Amino acid sequence: MQTTSPAAQLVARVENLTKSYGIGSNRIDALADITLGLERGKFTAIMGPSGSGKSTLMHVMAGLDTPTSGHAWLSATEITGLDDTQLTLLRRRRVGFVFQSFNLVPTLDTLGNILLPFELDGRKPSIDERAWIDRLIESLGLGDRLRHRPHELSGGQQQRVAIARALGTRPDLVFADEPTGNLDSRSGREVLSLLAAASTDFGQSIAMVTHDSVAASYADRVLFLADGRLTAERGRSTPEEIGSFMLGMERSA
Amino acid sequence: MNRFDIREHGASILVAALGSSFGVTLVLVTDALSKLLYQNDRTGSSHSVQLVLSFIAYVFIAIAIYVGAVVTANTFATIIAGRTRTIALLRLVGASAASQRRAVAREGLIVGLIGAVLGLGFGIGINAVLLAIAIPALGLPMLAFNYVTITAAVPVVAVVLTTWLASWIGARRVLVVSPMQALGAAEERPLGDASARRGRNAIAATLFVIGTLILLGAVALGVTATPVAILPGVVGGILSFTGVVLGAGVVMPPALRFVGALLGASTPARMAAQNSVRYPERSARTTVGLVIGVTLVTMFVVALQTALSLVDLSRAAQPERYQGTDSIITGMAVIFGCIGGFSAVIAAVGLVNNMSLSVLQRTRELGLLRALGFSVRQVRQLIVAESAQLTVAAVLVGLLLGTFYGWAGAESMMGQLSGGGAVWPAVPPLLIIVVAVAALLLTMLASAGPSRRATRVAPVAALATE
Repeated sequence: MQTTSPAAQLVARVENLTKSYGIGSNRIDALADITLGLERGKFTAIMGPSGSGKSTLMHVMAGLDTPTSGHAWLSATEITGLDDTQLTLLRRRRVGFVFQSFNLVPTLDTLGNILLPFELDGRKPSIDERAWIDRLIESLGLGDRLRHRPHELSGGQQQRVAIARALGTRPDLVFADEPTGNLDSRSGREVLSLLAAASTDFGQSIAMVTHDSVAASYADRVLFLADGRLTAERGRSTPEEIGSFMLGMERSA
Repeated sequence: MNRFDIREHGASILVAALGSSFGVTLVLVTDALSKLLYQNDRTGSSHSVQLVLSFIAYVFIAIAIYVGAVVTANTFATIIAGRTRTIALLRLVGASAASQRRAVAREGLIVGLIGAVLGLGFGIGINAVLLAIAIPALGLPMLAFNYVTITAAVPVVAVVLTTWLASWIGARRVLVVSPMQALGAAEERPLGDASARRGRNAIAATLFVIGTLILLGAVALGVTATPVAILPGVVGGILSFTGVVLGAGVVMPPALRFVGALLGASTPARMAAQNSVRYPERSARTTVGLVIGVTLVTMFVVALQTALSLVDLSRAAQPERYQGTDSIITGMAVIFGCIGGFSAVIAAVGLVNNMSLSVLQRTRELGLLRALGFSVRQVRQLIVAESAQLTVAAVLVGLLLGTFYGWAGAESMMGQLSGGGAVWPAVPPLLIIVVAVAALLLTMLASAGPSRRATRVAPVAALATE
């Protein structure tokens, strides 16, 4: 288990995390006493069938939702117990998001969306940050789309804008929630390659929730969840290996 | 089919009830006034005065009902936008667009019926209370006043029909909902009526230009010669203002952008500025009723004040001739101002409702902003700024237009009093204060509920796939 490695190498970790809904006999544990860590600078995929708790886990780790019990850290900051204002600042400065759909603010153009986290902070990017954003725009091929509104972009282009926005503040960790769920397979592969490249080239830590074996095969490490528990983990694997492992999990369930 | 949801239609019922009770009250009060005039008739002119009174009453009723219809059409359009997926699903399983639109219009008919009948009750009650209080207080004879007349049916029926029509117009968007939209999150598609819009704008521009020219001609005539110039003045004014109302889709967005720029450069203010022109037509319709109301109030007050300053000029020459003119002019302006201001009340209901619907329909977007680091306070600022922008833009345009029309009216009727030269429009500071306070109250009212709801949107809402 990764929790045995030194905490400093982990960009995020959770300990004995439980999230339940309902009470008494109606009680459902979306997360059942789960403990795990994500390595800094790595691209980690979190896999599991529907209802395995992978989305809930991501929500708690990103400060979007609060657990019933247990603790969660982002780098050295314990985020369980932070109030709403502190969580808001954490999301603004230290976390990036790429969602399945509806990623962008429809009234803002591409550049406006990319710079939104800085806007929210009430500041302009520094020269250094601006150079970084220009490099992202360049490498994501968005240079000639900067004045386009989201509805003028294809799904794949929108997702690339979301990636640029997520990477722009150089957050501790980028969360991607089924980032290819709404894309055709070609745009999907492109987005996955870009995420993988962000991790290898820039050392960006990324956590991706997915139920797609092909998507998970782009990750350095794959964590498998079922019934709110961590059931297994693998290093980089082929889609076939991941797929057959998932099938095995389904059968034994 | 969609069930009739009273929460969804509460605001439209209120608008219909307001229009209907306003109309019924005016009809009944006019009837009572006619009786009083007939009783005291010594000159034999009561019949023509009655006609003029009824005419004025029906003009105000028509304006209020028109504003109500614009508000209702807008509300229905907004409701339809929120129902897109349900409609798409019904289309997917085989419902025709026309039948869907008829179903929405049926809801409009029910809304109109409920509102109009409620309004009839209120109107009868208000009139009875007015008579019971005003007649003894003014020392007038207690005649056999009617508590309800057959003519009271006119505004009631008109409200039912216009609400029905408004819902039909508002349901236009049903026609462009594609069954595909049930299958995925699709962008809102533009309504394919660009040519119709161009045609309407051309008519609006023509009306405005011709009307304004006639009005200016009447001013020139009134200043140099005759009070009869008020007649072409009224015609010109109506044409010109109809042009503005029809062309609201062109007039309001620049006004909204201007006010948006005044709100400052903070992120919530700038995003609010963009939100309020996101659907220019919708924003124009939301604000146009308020523009009408503020224009009417301002017009009467400015006309009064300008007329008074003209009388003052003339009185310097002939002190004995204008005994009592001041109080008559003041009284008329206050009454007309209040009656005209009622349209603003109806429009305000529409604006408040539109703000809350627009927040309801933007749950995911607000969730996205929260997820990206918008604080609760910034969300609240965003909503308040949006509502301030709509209110302030409408009030500014209304003040400008009302000042112009009021000044033109006073000049065309009484301009000759100043002895050959026009005076500046007189805008009483009290008017500005009252309108500013009303705008502030409306902004707070329109943003209170929505901002409470918006700040409760959890950031997780952005991640939901539906």
